[in-house]
Amino acid sequence: MALSLYIDRASPLHRRHPVAKLAAMILFFAATFLLDDPVPIAPLTVAVLVATAAAHAFPNLWRLRWIVGPVFVFTLAIWTLFYPAPAGGAAAGTAPWRFGLGMALKLETFLATGLLFLATTTVEEFAFALRSLGVPYRAGFVVTLAFRLVPVFLESALTVVDAQRCRGLDFTRGRVHQRIARYVPVIVPVFIGGLRRADRMAFALEVRGFSSGRRRTGLPRPAANAGDWLLVAVVGAAFVGYVTLWMLGTGRIVPR
Amino acid sequence: MSVALRRLEVRALECRFADPPAQALTGVSLTVDAGELVAIMGESGAGKSTLLRCVNGLVPSLVPAACEGEILLDGAGVLGVPVGMLAGRVAMVFQDFEAQLFSTNVRLEVAFGPAQLGVAPYEIERRVAAALARVGLTDLVARDPRALSGGQKQRLAIASILAMAPAVILFDEAATDLDPVGRQELYATLQRLRTEGLALVAVEHEIDPVLGADRLYLMRAGAIVASGPPAVLACDVDAFLACGVRPHDLAVLARRLDVELPLAVEDAVEALRRLGVSRLLPATKDAASRRPAAADGPPILEVEHLSYRYADGPGAVHDVSVAIGAGEVIALIGRNGSGKTTLAKHLNGLLRATSGTVRLDGADVATVPLDRVAQQVGYVFQNPDDQLFAATVADEIAFGPRNFGLAGDVLTTRVEEVLAAVGLAERRDADPFLLSKGERQRLAVATVLAMAPRVLILDEPTTGLDYPQQRQMLELLVRLRARGTTIVLATHSPWVVAEYAERVLLMHAGRLVFDGPLATFVADATLLQAAAFEPPPAMRLGLAFGRVTRTVDELVAALDLPTRLR
Repeated sequence: MALSLYIDRASPLHRRHPVAKLAAMILFFAATFLLDDPVPIAPLTVAVLVATAAAHAFPNLWRLRWIVGPVFVFTLAIWTLFYPAPAGGAAAGTAPWRFGLGMALKLETFLATGLLFLATTTVEEFAFALRSLGVPYRAGFVVTLAFRLVPVFLESALTVVDAQRCRGLDFTRGRVHQRIARYVPVIVPVFIGGLRRADRMAFALEVRGFSSGRRRTGLPRPAANAGDWLLVAVVGAAFVGYVTLWMLGTGRIVPR
Repeated sequence: MSVALRRLEVRALECRFADPPAQALTGVSLTVDAGELVAIMGESGAGKSTLLRCVNGLVPSLVPAACEGEILLDGAGVLGVPVGMLAGRVAMVFQDFEAQLFSTNVRLEVAFGPAQLGVAPYEIERRVAAALARVGLTDLVARDPRALSGGQKQRLAIASILAMAPAVILFDEAATDLDPVGRQELYATLQRLRTEGLALVAVEHEIDPVLGADRLYLMRAGAIVASGPPAVLACDVDAFLACGVRPHDLAVLARRLDVELPLAVEDAVEALRRLGVSRLLPATKDAASRRPAAADGPPILEVEHLSYRYADGPGAVHDVSVAIGAGEVIALIGRNGSGKTTLAKHLNGLLRATSGTVRLDGADVATVPLDRVAQQVGYVFQNPDDQLFAATVADEIAFGPRNFGLAGDVLTTRVEEVLAAVGLAERRDADPFLLSKGERQRLAVATVLAMAPRVLILDEPTTGLDYPQQRQMLELLVRLRARGTTIVLATHSPWVVAEYAERVLLMHAGRLVFDGPLATFVADATLLQAAAFEPPPAMRLGLAFGRVTRTVDELVAALDLPTRLR
């Protein structure tokens, strides 16, 4: 079972410099965050979907459809119902559902952008980008190791669940507190197994020189090229445009 | 490429752990020269891993311990030098190949070590290419390490440390989790590295792979109790047994016959012929007759045209049909990834077939709740730690039957019966996590036995256990079989198959390519080659004389010996 989100393809987005991709993602997040009217947010949603298609990364959205779909529906419903309706804000009528739709598109765009980044960027590239932006090596390594270990722990947890189901463990019976108590036979082996694995990984890391005290290097990495600069420039321009809209007070249903 | 080393010496090494207090090593001395392969064998807890960890600095720099004596690399003392400082010179390959791979592709994995040592980028690139070539993984440079086979993962782990240009490589039971092909790949790699001048130290459980080593050290209770050329030391059956190591079949045979025999099967055949042995006596009871009568009755489990495909992966099992009767002992064999576990998980309803059916007593398991199937068909997972959680051994055993409604005296009686059956009655109040690996493995079996299943499926039940622990586990299975329990044993261990199985199911690339008696399987050279299954020496020697002999005892009984040898 494939549990990693990275999809190994040779798309133009995969080939981009990791720092350019990280910078573009941050700018894209910021642009999406500024406004709440669905009309200006929709182009960003469409843009990230087009990029996802170009990067052959739709399988990630499909795999997480049980998150993507409910997030849209519930966000739309909740923000429509709990529209803040400030004094001096947009008139009632279409405003609540437009606001709900804007919030739903915003969340989906965040989600799709993050998934696209992880589909086109290996954890090592992610760590390199973090380091390039000033994050200490060990912190970046922990982040990347976490990404690497999530699938491992999930697999381990699924094995433990299988083992306990074979012993008659049933999570569906009883009251809530009884059901919660039934997770103990899963949590304990996963936790203990995790500690043991962490121990073994620490040994393996040390043997590979993790604490050698020498200045770290890495494989030769191509410098950013015109395509990388173009990516940052395009997303940067979009960001400037959305900041301008925000400063002009347009593109918002609830005034800032 | 590596820093030239002439000699690694360990002199009078003592090591004592503080928490819990334990003397791990006592007066250990050994030497390894460049271009040598040295093997270390011994029972669990003998101090083998501690010795290796002292050599590469994990002890005492990461695992606190009081160490005395000397460890010298070309005369320079390194005992107590932090592991990070030794990383470029002394490398280590661990048993758990998953826990030593951190990267998302093979190239990055190999580059990780030299990058930590500050090697220049273009030199790293050169070393990555060279290291992958040395272990034969050049074609897999862009592959995700998780997608590699076990043998490939261990070779990748070796490439990863070769790129750091070490002079000494320590292998801590690196072959234990590998299938037979993986083991062959690993030891072929070791032979190449040896000829390149590296000093190699390998901790092993089996004597066969290290017969060609330069020296063998046997350890017990933290001390080296015997050493010498493996082919010579292997003839000391008592020393092997005293150290908890399975002796070589032909050494046992030689002792039984009170003759000298070479340890290579072909040479032993010639030696026996020279001694006047020309044939084996016909079997009085062939393998087929060992099949219990109940096995010829209606099957307990029937698999018909089973296929299974994982959600976003390739098909794992294709069109498998098999029937399993009462009281059978079946070996389920095949390479890692051949579909053994997937098939086994269908037998107790953990997986539901994509197509085809699995019937338990005639009922389709897809229509029966998992807990009902699990009561009839128990499944013991490979790693006992995947299921242990309770505060005491007795509570752990009671968990399953309690879920099925047992309580009070009935439950207590059931737990006591099972504790006695697995030999853990004295440990009923012990914390499961403080048991030895062998005890935990037997406890895992006990937790399933407590549900009184008619079929018991065990996934690699002897992996990671020393020889006495393996024997205890297998004798437990013999007792269960005598009570009528059907045993399905997924295993990579040829001697376990040879001595305990009556029937063999061979999986290859998701298909069942052989289903029949053990005797038929081992007599078919084509099948053996396809399965990468090398029968143990006693069986190969018997086959050379035209008969299937499962154990040394059977072989001795079958030898048509001249009078002077009887």
